[in-house]
Amino acid sequence: MTHANLPDFASDLGRALESLGAGRVDTPVIQPAEPFLDMAGEDLRRRIFLTESETGESLCLRPEFTIPVCRAHIAEGVATPRRYCYLGQVFRQRRDGSNEFYQAGIEDLGETDLARADARAIAEAHTLLSALVNASLSTIVGDQAVFEAVVAGLGLPVGWQKRLIHAFGNQQALDAMIARLAAPQSATATDPDIAALLQAGDADRLASHITEVMEATGYSTHASRTPAEIARRLVEKRQLEEIRLSDAALSALRSFLALEAPLADAEAALSDFAESAGLDIAQACWAFGARVEALKAVGADLGSMTWRAAFGRPLDYYTGLVFEIAAGEGGPVLAGGGRFDRMMELLGARDPIPAVGFSLWLDRIQAARSRP
Amino acid sequence: MTLTIALPSKGRMKDDALAIFARAGLDVTSVGNDRSYRGRIEGLDDTEVAFLSASEIARELGAGSVDFGVTGEDLVREGLSQADSRVEICARLGFGHADVVVAVPEIWHDVTTMADLGDVAADFRARHGRRLAIATKYWRLTQNFFSTRHGIQLYRIVESLGATEGAPASGAADIIVDITSTGSTLVANHLRVLDDGIILRSEACLVRARRPEHASDPRIAEAIARISASLG
Repeated sequence: MTHANLPDFASDLGRALESLGAGRVDTPVIQPAEPFLDMAGEDLRRRIFLTESETGESLCLRPEFTIPVCRAHIAEGVATPRRYCYLGQVFRQRRDGSNEFYQAGIEDLGETDLARADARAIAEAHTLLSALVNASLSTIVGDQAVFEAVVAGLGLPVGWQKRLIHAFGNQQALDAMIARLAAPQSATATDPDIAALLQAGDADRLASHITEVMEATGYSTHASRTPAEIARRLVEKRQLEEIRLSDAALSALRSFLALEAPLADAEAALSDFAESAGLDIAQACWAFGARVEALKAVGADLGSMTWRAAFGRPLDYYTGLVFEIAAGEGGPVLAGGGRFDRMMELLGARDPIPAVGFSLWLDRIQAARSRP
Repeated sequence: MTLTIALPSKGRMKDDALAIFARAGLDVTSVGNDRSYRGRIEGLDDTEVAFLSASEIARELGAGSVDFGVTGEDLVREGLSQADSRVEICARLGFGHADVVVAVPEIWHDVTTMADLGDVAADFRARHGRRLAIATKYWRLTQNFFSTRHGIQLYRIVESLGATEGAPASGAADIIVDITSTGSTLVANHLRVLDDGIILRSEACLVRARRPEHASDPRIAEAIARISASLG
């Protein structure tokens, strides 16, 4: 049987993947759509191929492998650490390129030496690509954990930290948040009863007032946001609105986000920044440095790797490393990966399972191979 | 070539559309009886009228199978991806006003803006074990507004084909995106529109399918000019 779009190098790549000590898995092409939409958000809906079963279950053609591989792992309940590899077709609605193409990759589940697992993911993706593509590869690395440490170090209240962390990786959203922090809005007027209770600072009475109103208007007090939750956020919002980031902290945040350095010099750049901004981010710096050391230990080519402070993904299950490998500076991205320590629990694992992985875009690799 | 104009087939939308056409000197008559789904315009033998439902009109415009249509902007923008490249809104007709809005339970006093909603959505999964649920029939408008305009990704759409405004009270969803003209249905259901929660201020529009042959057809510009002039 021949497969449309199956690149000629696929069987070599499959053997290379299996030689990395990862068990090959295959997952059904037709998948329940819920987990994908739940993880990646509604925006995914128009980029996947959706259908419905006769019984009304929402199904889709596999748009990627990470979620199916992780769900299969959870369903089988096998012990960790465990590594999986895959190579197969994925389906997405794309304006450029074919709607069906191949991806291959590795998911590394349950390795507790995070620096080692991170380094291995980057190095393996790099090695696999080097064997396939003649062009020089450039790797860009980001770290959500470092950003989280900087935001915490600025002494912002938790509510503001969460807003900024949630926007990390989406430059537009992050700029909007920083603008809000620089010029806080005036407290919003609420109805007089609420305003009086807020003024009195009595969260319990506020919650019971909200309960009464909800009951009187036919709203369940537990189906959606609860009275206590609304009351708590009212109080918190009032506090957040009074926060204004000092000019020094604001400029620290901005200069952090502008940082970019060769990976070999990144730890030094980070500690220089921390020192000049007066931030204590030693723990995050240490973890970052450990990953760089681990990369050196596996003989990775640090010279082709760059750290960019603002590089991240605005999805709530990414927790640390993110990376992309492109053919040359600014060329098409051939591989992408990262650490998603929160995903396994979101997908139903009983205990937290650290997870890191990467995937290779076989169609783009094919195109890069055919360029002179 | 025969020009096809699609007009609403019933109700206020039909009456208002016919009135505007009449003011422009374009008298539309039904072919056969009053309930016929085909019509013609007095004195314009190379033009035909198709009476269709407002959402069918949006779809036919998108497919380019009619030249002009009168329908709500909400239906055009919801029904067609990349609407502006496929159709042109030639004139806003001043009737069928309705806003597509984001509305939350009135009791959510802490949520007055989309930024507030973004905070709530970000935390929702951790607090409730599920994503924030939005009841709507406006999938495309909701996704564009939440994801593209406001960078809010973490929510789920619950399809609602009727009585959307009842979804929060019944527990079917947490908030809604729906159409409202006076806001009274929202108030009756204890819902409140966010300060920056107006997705689209819609009204009936004269819409043209972007067909290449229109460029060389003088009747196109003339039709648009006559309707526009009659709006005063």
